[in-house]
Amino acid sequence: MFSKLFPERMPSTWRLGLLLAVLMACSTTLCITVAGWAMKQNLSSIARAVVLDDLGEYAVLYNRNGLKEIKDVFAAGGHENDQAVRITSSDGRVLFEQIPVAVAGYRWPDNAPANLQASQTLLITVEHDRREQQLLAGCQVLNDGNILWFGRTDAEDRAYVEHIRDDLWLAGLASTAFMLLPLWWFVRHVLRPVQDMMKSTHKLAEGSTDARLVAPDAVPELQAFASAFNAGLDRIDALTTELQSANDNLAHELRTPLARIRGNLEIHHDHSENAAAREAAARGMEEIDRAADLVQTILTTRAGEHKALKLHLETIDLRELLTDLHDLYKAAADERGLQFMLQAPESRLAPLDRQRINQAVANLLDNAFAYTPHGGAVTLALSTTDDQNRILVRDTGPGLSATDLTKIWQRFTRGSAASANTPGMGLGLSLVRAIATAHGGQTGCRNRDEGGAEFWIDLPCSV
Amino acid sequence: MKGQIRCRRVKAVQHALTNAMHLLLVEDDTELARQTDIWLREAGHTCAWCERGGQALMVLGKEAFDAVILDVGLPDMDGFTVVEQMRARGFGLPVLFLTARDNVTDRVRGLKAGGDDYVTKPFALEELLARLEALQRRSGITPLVPPSRNVGKWTLDPIKRRLHCGDEMVELQPREWTLLEVMLANEGRILTKKFLLEKVWDIQFDPGTNVVDAMICRLRRKIDAPGQPSHLQTVRGKGYVLQALS
Repeated sequence: MFSKLFPERMPSTWRLGLLLAVLMACSTTLCITVAGWAMKQNLSSIARAVVLDDLGEYAVLYNRNGLKEIKDVFAAGGHENDQAVRITSSDGRVLFEQIPVAVAGYRWPDNAPANLQASQTLLITVEHDRREQQLLAGCQVLNDGNILWFGRTDAEDRAYVEHIRDDLWLAGLASTAFMLLPLWWFVRHVLRPVQDMMKSTHKLAEGSTDARLVAPDAVPELQAFASAFNAGLDRIDALTTELQSANDNLAHELRTPLARIRGNLEIHHDHSENAAAREAAARGMEEIDRAADLVQTILTTRAGEHKALKLHLETIDLRELLTDLHDLYKAAADERGLQFMLQAPESRLAPLDRQRINQAVANLLDNAFAYTPHGGAVTLALSTTDDQNRILVRDTGPGLSATDLTKIWQRFTRGSAASANTPGMGLGLSLVRAIATAHGGQTGCRNRDEGGAEFWIDLPCSV
Repeated sequence: MKGQIRCRRVKAVQHALTNAMHLLLVEDDTELARQTDIWLREAGHTCAWCERGGQALMVLGKEAFDAVILDVGLPDMDGFTVVEQMRARGFGLPVLFLTARDNVTDRVRGLKAGGDDYVTKPFALEELLARLEALQRRSGITPLVPPSRNVGKWTLDPIKRRLHCGDEMVELQPREWTLLEVMLANEGRILTKKFLLEKVWDIQFDPGTNVVDAMICRLRRKIDAPGQPSHLQTVRGKGYVLQALS
């Protein structure tokens, strides 16, 4: 629910920090407001009691000995600075006034309310023209009908509340600082381990297989996650290694007998004077060479699909690679009556396994040559963007059916336009895809609007 | 007519007599070793055979060889290790790997370990011989004899990369020239498509399209005299061979 509060790219430390700070500010403000209000209530009832009390005392003094007694009390000193005493006659004339500077300037009422009975007390609040402080005043009708006024400002109370408020703010700040301790804990034990893990997974995505998640200081849940993840990676690694060595063994197991048969056929071929026998041996050798290629193609495809293909990466100029391939296929294109064009305007360096990429592009060309009729055209093109290189092979053949478009890259799938005479077992394109995958790239195909098919290999600029 | 080369074997034997090599074959597959041994003897070379890497290292200490043919997948240690140990013990003779693993990574690893060349199974005898002789020439066991500079009536002009005969002249494209040079360097030897793809185009797989065939045809049209048998013959199932003299 807080996710929309923050800018999208704000790191979670800042989010949590901000959230905590705002929460603490709110709760401190609430505390101070409530505490301030409660204190004011308390203080004002105390102030009323003080006023009533003092008023009573002065009234007793006056009633006993008249105005003289009051004057004596003041003459004896010890009067508080924030208290004022007045005595007015029933028609509002001031008979006595003892008002210190701190309490001066309040607009006292001219007379007591008419309905105020003798010995009755009334409390009123008196405002000042310029000061904020209020004067809590009480009046009482004395025995002789004169009126006794007693007033006290709330300056002291206000100062007190102000003081407490400052202290409360300080306490709030201190507790906010304490609240940041969980933030520090979060950063150290949750956030930083997560960031480290993120770095490791980036390395994994970039193709490094030995990267592992490490989280020594992390919370137990993250450690459990890391070790489960690492166990999975170890398993994948082991499987990859096993696949590689199984591939090597299979290659050995399958190619060595082929070599034996081929050797015997060759001896037979070379020692036979019978033309038919030589012809048969020659056909046999051709078949064996094809079978050896097939074994290699299947093993390479298998390894490539599982990212277990060993690549020999070098920095290669793709334009040069395509130019060489164009050169290799030119004579064969002429022989077939095909126009064969190369469109590679700029040179482009990329880390690639030259033989593998050669083989992938050659497979696309083989395909295009097999399906394009005499008089058609095949184009080999390179198109580049900042982070990607695309190798395209276009032909003017029959194009692809809807099923072809989805299935053509699978093993042993042949295009719908294939005839009994078209060579191949439907492995070529799966090999292309496997090689592209091993390089961190992709393959694609579509029918061109002008007719014919277009196949491409996308390769990232860095592997 | 795609000719049957009758003089082939005679030629190979003559060739071998002048450059007979004593070879060490390290191969655990008995049948393959037997065949290779027959071939090498027929080609005029002599051959000793070991089944294991350790054994090979011992034999090397006792006997002098011109080159080693070494299988990568041996029962006791892999071929790369054998070469590393050979080189560590100071044996500098050329090593040709025989392997069922066909990828550049292994090729590079083999060459880094100290190997000199690489043949993948299944292989053709003539390819093995062509590579062995190239190693022999490179290591200076036999003096470098410049290959013939004539094909039929044509004389090769290596500077301008073209053929001439009196006033007649034929321009060759760069790859055509390289193809002719490779074939001339192995004159009389049947070269496999795989070998030519590697030496001329640096390609280590077999494209489905008949690219080599098409290039040979094109070269044939340029150098052959009309009505005469071709200098460049196709031997079905085996490869192509150049006869400089018709």
